[in-house]
Amino acid sequence: MLSDREVTNTLNMLRNEHLDVRTVTLGVSLFDCVSHDLELFIANIQAKIARYAQQLVPVCNEIGAKYGIPVVNKRISVSPIAVVAAPFGAEGMVRVCKALDYAAQEARVDFLGGFSALVEKGFANGDRALLESLPDALSQTERICSSINVASSKAGINMDAVRLMGEQIKRCALASPEGIACAKLVVFANIPQDVPFMAGAYLGIGEPDCVINVGVSGPGVVRKAIDRLLARGVNDKGNALTLLDMAEAIKRTAYKVTRVGEIIGTEVAQRLGIPFGVADLSLAPTPAVGDSVGEIFQSLGLSSIGAPGSTAVLAMINDAVKKGGSFASSSVGGLSGAFIPVSEDSSIEEAARSGFLGMEKLEAMTSVCSVGLDMIAIPGDTEASSIAGIIADEMAIGMINNKTTAVRVIPVPGKGVGDTVSFGGLLGQATIMAVPKGDASRFIALGGRIPAPINSLKN
Amino acid sequence: MQKFTVSFLGRDCPGVVSTVSTLLSNCSANITAATQSLLLGEFAGIFLVEVADDTVAAETLQQQLQEGLAKAEFDLSLIVRPTCEGAWGKNSHSEPFVVSADGQDGNGQIAAMSRVFSRHGVNIESLRAYLGDDAAKNHALFVFEVMVPESVDIGRLRRELLCEGQSLGLRVSVQHRDIFEAVNRIESI
Repeated sequence: MLSDREVTNTLNMLRNEHLDVRTVTLGVSLFDCVSHDLELFIANIQAKIARYAQQLVPVCNEIGAKYGIPVVNKRISVSPIAVVAAPFGAEGMVRVCKALDYAAQEARVDFLGGFSALVEKGFANGDRALLESLPDALSQTERICSSINVASSKAGINMDAVRLMGEQIKRCALASPEGIACAKLVVFANIPQDVPFMAGAYLGIGEPDCVINVGVSGPGVVRKAIDRLLARGVNDKGNALTLLDMAEAIKRTAYKVTRVGEIIGTEVAQRLGIPFGVADLSLAPTPAVGDSVGEIFQSLGLSSIGAPGSTAVLAMINDAVKKGGSFASSSVGGLSGAFIPVSEDSSIEEAARSGFLGMEKLEAMTSVCSVGLDMIAIPGDTEASSIAGIIADEMAIGMINNKTTAVRVIPVPGKGVGDTVSFGGLLGQATIMAVPKGDASRFIALGGRIPAPINSLKN
Repeated sequence: MQKFTVSFLGRDCPGVVSTVSTLLSNCSANITAATQSLLLGEFAGIFLVEVADDTVAAETLQQQLQEGLAKAEFDLSLIVRPTCEGAWGKNSHSEPFVVSADGQDGNGQIAAMSRVFSRHGVNIESLRAYLGDDAAKNHALFVFEVMVPESVDIGRLRRELLCEGQSLGLRVSVQHRDIFEAVNRIESI
């Protein structure tokens, strides 16, 4: 028999604290679909995605209902298209992107990730074609997400790719209303191969033919756990609360949330006859009040995210989440940590709008969070070289610290600092944030590669 | 060897378990399984016992125990019945679910929910009802732990429970029990 506490705690997590499985992502390898013929390749990928994804949505809904935990998003990730569609040139890439969009629509998933290229050490023909195709591909499709890995701790930073991405992000913004195509495009350092979250999801080259990865969220659950602890006023031993108690509460909550993801993910995988890959516990906020990472900062005593102390708080949260998640599942992967996407989090957005949080502080915080500069709306007239400079800075943080970092910025056409933009749905709304002043154009124009860092003499 | 089910009900106080178990022992009734619970100070205990003497009837055992309780000055209600062999659903495959319903307390809510279970042949293994404290006066939470036979359409059962809950002003959720264990317990499920 369950104890009263077990029942009421679990019910509260579901009913009042926004606990859900944020995404079940089906990874499908497309390597066995390759062909010299574009039509045949498209037919192959659509047939394979349809074959594996046909039952994804109904099975997720059924398992979600069984456990009373909603599976909010069902998604697909595929092998990096720059590799499997390498022969087809930029126009062919756009055709492939549209074919993937159609396959995603048929499978009734909300996003398909993997329109991706791994260019940290240089470009292959397919990589160049894919990067060239990005503005057309992303503006002419609805459900396709793209990730470009331009740096790694082993290879360094491909500054030619960084420069190109600065330019392509601007073109993507101009090609779509409110620059929305940029919300589906993310630039990475050290991209993991098994991320279930968008826009970074793709199926790595070392992954199985087909796999189920699960992304669990739960910032609301974490915040409530801290609030309950604060309301009690003392720790388990009756002593005054300290940050150690807060970290412990976050860790235990992360354990619980990850267990939810694992039980649902393994059952979905079993029902589909597909291996289970990883559970990725990432505190991924939504614009809904009570489902915010920023609110956790307030519960921990900061007036707002962005106030002095924010980087320390984020470091503590991120680490506690990883510890709890790792204990809960032997198959933890993906990003597993805390996201700080500005437009998608009502509290972070409010801090940015009120001036408590700027690009510089966000960049500092990304050195300890699980991703990077995420969903930041910037002025439409921002120079491509400035965007490239922002990317280069962020990639450097990832490369030197052996961690994943990423940039997803949206230069909103026609908008300036202080204007607002609404992306709709889970993408939320944002106030246009100022980018650091100064000119990076000569630095970016140098191109080449920033070499990989030394792994000794760490100071 | 005879098997009996013996149940005690009454006000809880120190010495209740000691008294009833001593009485059973004095009647040569060996306890093979037992459960007890407390509800707002009321004690309820069920004991499965074995008696070696095949000639002892349930009525005889009840009388002996009743006399013992009176002598020990414990005011407990007592029932003794021959134990039925087997348990419901023992030979059929069932899945454990937790059905919780909460909302404004009202008359007949448990009865109405239970009727839905009964109609589908779903057995309630545990039922707990809580009334809110002063801050949430008249707010009730009912938790049913049930076994749902494999033959039952869980989707239909869920819809009927939600519908019944709605008509009673209750918010109902139906969840497989494993999720509660997964979230709260370290043991592998």
